[in-house]
Amino acid sequence: MQTKEFTIKWGMAIDLDKCTGCGACMVACQAENNLAPIADASNKIKVMNWITVYELSNGKPYPEHDVAYLPRPCQQCGHPPCVSVCPVIATDKNEEGGIVSQVTPRCIGCRYCMAACPYHARYFNWRDPVWPGGLEKALTPDVSVRPRGVVEKCTFCHHRWMAAKDKAIVEGRDPMDLAEGEYVTSCTEACPNGAITFGDLNNEEHEVAKLASSKHAHRLLERLGAHTQVYYVSRREWVLRQLDNYLEDEKVKG
Amino acid sequence: MAVDRRGFLKFVAGATTGVLATPVPWKLLDDASIWTQNWSWIPRNVDGANSYVSTISKLCPSAAGMKVRLVGERPVRVLPDDNHPLSMGGITALAVAEVQLMYSPSRVKRPLKHAGDGAYVAISWEEAEKMLKENLRRAGSKVAYVSGDETGTINELLSGMAKESGSEDFYVMPSEVQPAALAFASMNGKGQLGYDIENSDYVFAIGANILESWGTVLRNRAAFKKSHPAAKKPTVKFVYAGPVQNNTAAGADEWLPAKSGAEAIVAMGIANLLIKSGATINAPDFAEFKALAAQYTPQKVAALAGVAPAKLKAIAAELSKAQRPVVLTGSEFGQGTGVATVLAGTAVNMLLGSFGREGGVKALPLAPKVIASGMDRSESAQKDLVAYLSRISAGKVSKPRAMVFYEANPVYGLPQPAAMAKVMDKVPFKVAFTSFLDETAKACDLILPTPLGLERFDDVETPYGIGQAFYSLARPVAPCVIDGKPAADVLLSVATQLNMDLGFATFEEILQAKAEAAGADWDSLMEGEFFTSDAVAEQSNLRIAADVIGKALAAAPKAAKLSIAPVQKLSLGTPNTAIPPYNNKTIRRWELQKNEMYVAMNGATARELGVVKHDRIKLSNSSGSIQARVNIFEGVMPNTIAVLMGFGHTAFDEFSKGKGENVMELLTVGYEAGTGQSVWNVAGVNVSKA
Ligand code: SF4
Repeated sequence: MQTKEFTIKWGMAIDLDKCTGCGACMVACQAENNLAPIADASNKIKVMNWITVYELSNGKPYPEHDVAYLPRPCQQCGHPPCVSVCPVIATDKNEEGGIVSQVTPRCIGCRYCMAACPYHARYFNWRDPVWPGGLEKALTPDVSVRPRGVVEKCTFCHHRWMAAKDKAIVEGRDPMDLAEGEYVTSCTEACPNGAITFGDLNNEEHEVAKLASSKHAHRLLERLGAHTQVYYVSRREWVLRQLDNYLEDEKVKG
Repeated sequence: MAVDRRGFLKFVAGATTGVLATPVPWKLLDDASIWTQNWSWIPRNVDGANSYVSTISKLCPSAAGMKVRLVGERPVRVLPDDNHPLSMGGITALAVAEVQLMYSPSRVKRPLKHAGDGAYVAISWEEAEKMLKENLRRAGSKVAYVSGDETGTINELLSGMAKESGSEDFYVMPSEVQPAALAFASMNGKGQLGYDIENSDYVFAIGANILESWGTVLRNRAAFKKSHPAAKKPTVKFVYAGPVQNNTAAGADEWLPAKSGAEAIVAMGIANLLIKSGATINAPDFAEFKALAAQYTPQKVAALAGVAPAKLKAIAAELSKAQRPVVLTGSEFGQGTGVATVLAGTAVNMLLGSFGREGGVKALPLAPKVIASGMDRSESAQKDLVAYLSRISAGKVSKPRAMVFYEANPVYGLPQPAAMAKVMDKVPFKVAFTSFLDETAKACDLILPTPLGLERFDDVETPYGIGQAFYSLARPVAPCVIDGKPAADVLLSVATQLNMDLGFATFEEILQAKAEAAGADWDSLMEGEFFTSDAVAEQSNLRIAADVIGKALAAAPKAAKLSIAPVQKLSLGTPNTAIPPYNNKTIRRWELQKNEMYVAMNGATARELGVVKHDRIKLSNSSGSIQARVNIFEGVMPNTIAVLMGFGHTAFDEFSKGKGENVMELLTVGYEAGTGQSVWNVAGVNVSKA
């Protein structure tokens, strides 16, 4: 299958040397996208997070030990393994911008896409979403609440793109030519360390495009050929090695 | 007509093709999936006009500047504020949950009184105020006030009420503020120490977890963001010294392993090397300091703090080469450190010529107090809550007849909390002004719900850590969702009824006076602007206070064979907020499983203790004990057990209550020689299999 190409390709570059694992992105994402809180969040298999921050270790004993944190949203694959397996076309990659969509009302919860996604970026909604104590009053109007029994994932805060385009149209500007920063995801905006850069990978003026072509930029499990739109940046070789499971004797690309 | 088998199969195949070719089953499947998702109990989105209000967080200790998004009247999101000097784009994992905390199930919704049988009874505000007034009158001068707010002018009101009733007992919950204020006072300093991280070219944090919770952490992170351009070499080196490779170490360019509570020793080791290479301080007690520092050779620092001598030398050399280095000291968990830690760190800054220099340490002017009978910050920083409670426990001072807690949760948040709670138990009347039903509120006779920072007027003056004088208002962005009253209003009304003269009738008048005293413009503050000033406090006769450092270090407790290193993460809240509803998803897999917490140690320590990952252990010492499971993490110093703070709540809601245990149970209070300040950053522990 060919990688889908678009005029605009929204993408992310996450600097793993800047992320300290504070979790602000995870909390901001939940609040922005109306994910339900959960009393016991220790069961990581059944808890939903559209973005999860993983802890990486260089595997060396003290004092040579080093740690890094890896925030993982949906990688918005250019060649998404999840799309071809969906029997009801609840997920697709067809829209300008290259964001892999997920149409909740159409999802029948078969979870083939979860099995296909090599990044564990898709989550099955095991439980009825509940917001105790009136917490539902803080739900945003932008993202509808999903019921139990469907698959969810990060959409790069797609509603924010819609809003940015609408704004441009109202102001008489070309909605396909947004300036850098007019549309960013909630996690990008929240990160106090500036570890996440968001923008158009096809626009050389955008910082993200420059970062993606840096020699320190790699993609997660790149050799699977999913052509993801999320790039990870690190100047530490051990971090890069873990991104694509390099063998000890293999040279890291770049 | 007879139907043969072939004909029948043809019909079935035709019918199947027909059915599949029509859109009907697909439409039905689609409808079915939509309708099976259309449950009435799933909340619907409620739309409305968007607006944004700039304000500042009173919940997050870093005083995060933020924008609140409103949909109609409803606040729905906390967003970063790019233009705020304490945020500069970015938000903390705690402040970002603030809107959701308004609706937290553990909010106190109305005034409650503790009935004799242990139940809570809802009462009216009139009854509550009457009860408060009568009890305060009865207590007379035997009343103590405890505040959990570090930066608000309400502390002048609380301390003013204490003083008006003839009591000196006003305390702020312990943090980095008290040792820093005492340290600077013992140097003859005026004002508050401030750290100009954003203009520095080498940042050395000893203990202070500047990228997680020390000081104005969003501002610290903004400096880190700027100096660490993505995919490029950092322009400023950040070094973190501490026992655990925590979040600050993860971002820092270098982690220098150093034992918990040994911050002053590391600083003295650096001072010694700097002096040897020719650095001096123009201060009357430099000779004394030099002689003291000379004792802290790299070998001695290695023995006491576990720091590799070569690394210590390398950092000292880098510091002396830097143009605008800054050294920040503090406890790796935000409390319990001694005065000597700050003094030793300040001495290093002086040796580097960083005192009073851009990118270094500054003395920030603080606005004068506006309530005449109240305490100013330096006065209240002298007051040691832990020492006070310990003295009551030892029978050295008599217990108060009434205690007033303002957004403070000492029953959870103090070291040896069980012992502290026992002391409070003896107090006949206790009242909590609180937003949440926390551990302290549960121990009180009267619980008075306060609006949160997003629902009331409040102020923030120059939080500890910031590099310039600052003043800002927190503004109500939405009506209070509970039947709450701002504590300041309730207290002012009670004070009037008790014939106290605080000089003001309303809290707004107090805030206006404070804003004026700080040099800020009230109207622009009301519009969400903030006041900053680059003015510095003039100093004279500044000394190093070498005698204070000397006494403290000579008598400092030696690190135990096995010690505890508490790890603080802002995402897990504070004693006042517990773990906000969304934030428990940020807890890592091997930090908590169901209600069992994990503690971390390195492989060598585990081998020595004869434990492996997931083993259940008991950690105990003379203060108390906790149970946990073992996680192996090589980013912990040998013979050290890293324990996450924020667990072990016995109050609040399903998101916090009963999860893990409270590390404060293991922190043993001692007293710093020379200053008498209570300290609890060195705790030995025994481990046994549970
Ligand atoms: S990361 Fe997973 S869910 Fe996202 S597009 Fe790729 S395969 Fe699909």
